[in-house]
Amino acid sequence: MSVVDEDSDAQAMLKVAAGDRQAFAWLFDRYHASVARFAFRFVGDRERAEELTQDIFVKLYKNARAYKPTARFKTFLFRVATNHCLNEVRRGEYRVEHTSSETPEGEETGAVEMAGPEGDRPDQALAGRELERAVGAALGDMTERERAAFTMCRFEGMAYRDIAEALEASEAAVKSLIHRATLAVARRIEELQAGAAPARSRA
Amino acid sequence: MSCGFEEDLTAYVDGELPPARRAEVEGHLGACAGCRATHALLRNAVARLAELPAFEPSANTRRAVMAKLDALPAPWWERLKALLRPAVLVPSVGLAAAVGVALLLVGPGADAPPELADPVMLELAANLELVEDYEVLGLDSAEDLEVVANLHELEVGQ
Repeated sequence: MSVVDEDSDAQAMLKVAAGDRQAFAWLFDRYHASVARFAFRFVGDRERAEELTQDIFVKLYKNARAYKPTARFKTFLFRVATNHCLNEVRRGEYRVEHTSSETPEGEETGAVEMAGPEGDRPDQALAGRELERAVGAALGDMTERERAAFTMCRFEGMAYRDIAEALEASEAAVKSLIHRATLAVARRIEELQAGAAPARSRA
Repeated sequence: MSCGFEEDLTAYVDGELPPARRAEVEGHLGACAGCRATHALLRNAVARLAELPAFEPSANTRRAVMAKLDALPAPWWERLKALLRPAVLVPSVGLAAAVGVALLLVGPGADAPPELADPVMLELAANLELVEDYEVLGLDSAEDLEVVANLHELEVGQ
């Protein structure tokens, strides 16, 4: 993100703190998809991700005066998002719905069901669902901080330094969280590929 | 595996290592088959993750958020500003003065009311409003209050 973008975000947030709803709408349009992706990967459920996204932006609006323009806005936003998701999950308002390693194979959880692009061949769609399930299972087995760090890194492309700020952790701790999480996902994908290889060779 | 390089392999794949450490890892990869295998595993996983479809929130989300903002009570500072309008404040000060004169005539008791126009009292009143707002906002747990308190500490360059 450029310095100009960061300045624009900060200026918009200062206007939000003064009650400017248009500035809030501008920030919402810029970032709500990112927050929704984060929430979805965090709880593994589409509807809950939507609710969490709404709550996070309402919280952002209500706490706008706590924002200092010296802070990067996106980091501030993801700190609010992470704290909100953690609080809601710990409070029991939301269960994490990712298919965990304990879930019997084939059991429907209602989670992580996203169709691939229209026009996909059935075998490609199946491969996509299997990949989604494998990643979901790994996410479900992670600690909350691993899941948060992994999601910001892999799905938002955030730098380790920004993730460290959002999680209030050291960069070394974030490096460790992301490594453990990525290795767990990599092993799930490896298992998936090992299992899928014979099926592909039969086809 | 405990060759001291494994934990850096993900950061290496992500381009997050400083140049000197990056060179060390590259040198090590040439000599360690275990780390080469882990490196390949991690690179493959990062590439496969890019195949996942992106989650897109529904178009309803914006409307729902704006409706929730409409339903919010006015923030404490706006309520305080409204209280400080001359139309409200002047009669209040007049009433306070009248109460003060009455108390002087009766004599100061142990539970005499504070001067309403005292800036210290106004600040205290504002802070009390803030505490109430935390409840209005649903910030009723110690965790939530801590979150709000910590928001002030987030600054670039920390």
